[in-house]
Amino acid sequence: MAHALRERAAVSGIGETAYTRGTQKSGLALQLEASLKAIEDAGLSPRDIDGVVPYFPGGGIAEDFIANLGLPDLTLSLFVPMGGATCVAAIQSAAMAVATGVCKNVLISVGRTGYSGARVSTRLQQFPQFALAAEFEAPIGMFAPAQLYAQGARRHMELYGTTARHFAEVAVTTRQHAILNGNVVMSKPLTVEDHHASRMISDPFRLFDCSLESDGGAAIIVSAADRARDLKKPLVTIMGVAEGHPESPASIAQRPDLLDFGLVKAARRGYAMAGVGPKDIDVAEIYDCFTFTVIRQLEILGFCREGEGGPFVMDGRIGLGGELPINTHGGLLSQGHVVGLNHVIELTRQLRREAGKAQVKDAEVGLVTGYGDMGDGSLAILRRAA
Amino acid sequence: MSTAPAPASLPERPMPTPTRESQPYWDGMREGRFMLQHCASCGKVRHYPRPVCPHCFSMESEFKEAPLGGAIHAWTVCHHPFNFFFKAQAPYIVALVDMDVGVRVNAPLRGVDAATLELGQKVRLQFEPVSKEVTLPFFVTV
Repeated sequence: MAHALRERAAVSGIGETAYTRGTQKSGLALQLEASLKAIEDAGLSPRDIDGVVPYFPGGGIAEDFIANLGLPDLTLSLFVPMGGATCVAAIQSAAMAVATGVCKNVLISVGRTGYSGARVSTRLQQFPQFALAAEFEAPIGMFAPAQLYAQGARRHMELYGTTARHFAEVAVTTRQHAILNGNVVMSKPLTVEDHHASRMISDPFRLFDCSLESDGGAAIIVSAADRARDLKKPLVTIMGVAEGHPESPASIAQRPDLLDFGLVKAARRGYAMAGVGPKDIDVAEIYDCFTFTVIRQLEILGFCREGEGGPFVMDGRIGLGGELPINTHGGLLSQGHVVGLNHVIELTRQLRREAGKAQVKDAEVGLVTGYGDMGDGSLAILRRAA
Repeated sequence: MSTAPAPASLPERPMPTPTRESQPYWDGMREGRFMLQHCASCGKVRHYPRPVCPHCFSMESEFKEAPLGGAIHAWTVCHHPFNFFFKAQAPYIVALVDMDVGVRVNAPLRGVDAATLELGQKVRLQFEPVSKEVTLPFFVTV
């Protein structure tokens, strides 16, 4: 029997601000600017929004949306505190809300001044999920994600022979895609040599293995699929969506398998709900906080076998025209860091066939992942249903 | 990645804020003893400290001194000082160690070249007082 939520909801609107390093605007202003664009893109009025799932902590809360958008009757206000897994996991909560009739149109949004405001190691101290790392690891000099995730990357290299050359391929391919997009922070070509020459941050991660700290806002609208059919843009439905939480969720150090992300659980459920498998995916937007994180997720998602993510990304396989084009917008590595909501926006564009020079020909079914908060995971599988 | 210049006066080391659950661990550190929480009902060890045993759900626990040996599970070499306190020490190795008692400890590994490290390499936990109240762990190879 088909899953009760399968294709009951759709991504009906998408919006994003310019992605920059440096802005005079507040995170809230960026979030609202993107939200208004998403509402306009859907052909809706702000008055039609009756559910909000803002990224938290940082940015606006329900009160801000009511005060700024004049929402007449908000029926649902949620936080999905999963770090980088938040935006895709929020699609599950939004789909539940519109499929049950609790809401008609749910706004998922992010606004952040990750470059001109508080930087990463300061910002994370607001997160209760980082309390254990703050108590046991920050005092010995480990706190930033680049440090905490580096140990898992090192283990993968030692166990499977994954190399910096594999990491570089992800960075270089992602940059090539960014250059086609236009709204990106990093618009100059990047070579494998540039990657290898970039300064070491936390071994094995070099500068170009790390995602950007940038300013920007992004938003999407999730509506009931039967209602979204009447809106402005080609219908993009949510075939499958899931979130997953790993063992020892607040401490990577104590996790039995450092490479066991929440995506292991989410992928199984997401594929089952969608009724498709890795072979059916035409394009994938993979959460890329680090190059290695992409490599490991490709294994978890079943695009290759355990430990073979490094060789898999080589030979043009993940580039446009390859077997599995990924991060066709430039991702967090080269476009901008809005905690992966830009990945959802890009996948929607691909399926609407609005992706311009980065368009994957005849894209019908695509996948997007979220990853964050020490290993929480989420994925959504979307389909062009127009 | 921030490349902002270091402030004129260096920040202080980030310090642990012990909780009611973790206080015995930090008291042990200060005394040079590696104290770990064990379930009083099923006996299983758990780290980091927390109120409930996830195996048998007992809320009763006791802290016991654990041996100091372990083997390297993974490591990183921190070059970029995300907190400027650590700028003078960079680059420094942080090893994640499978302690013989069955939990992991993340701590600096000193006196060894990162290029020679291997998974499974034997190390031993040591104690470094950094203030009157706080002692932190570090590792040396054996």
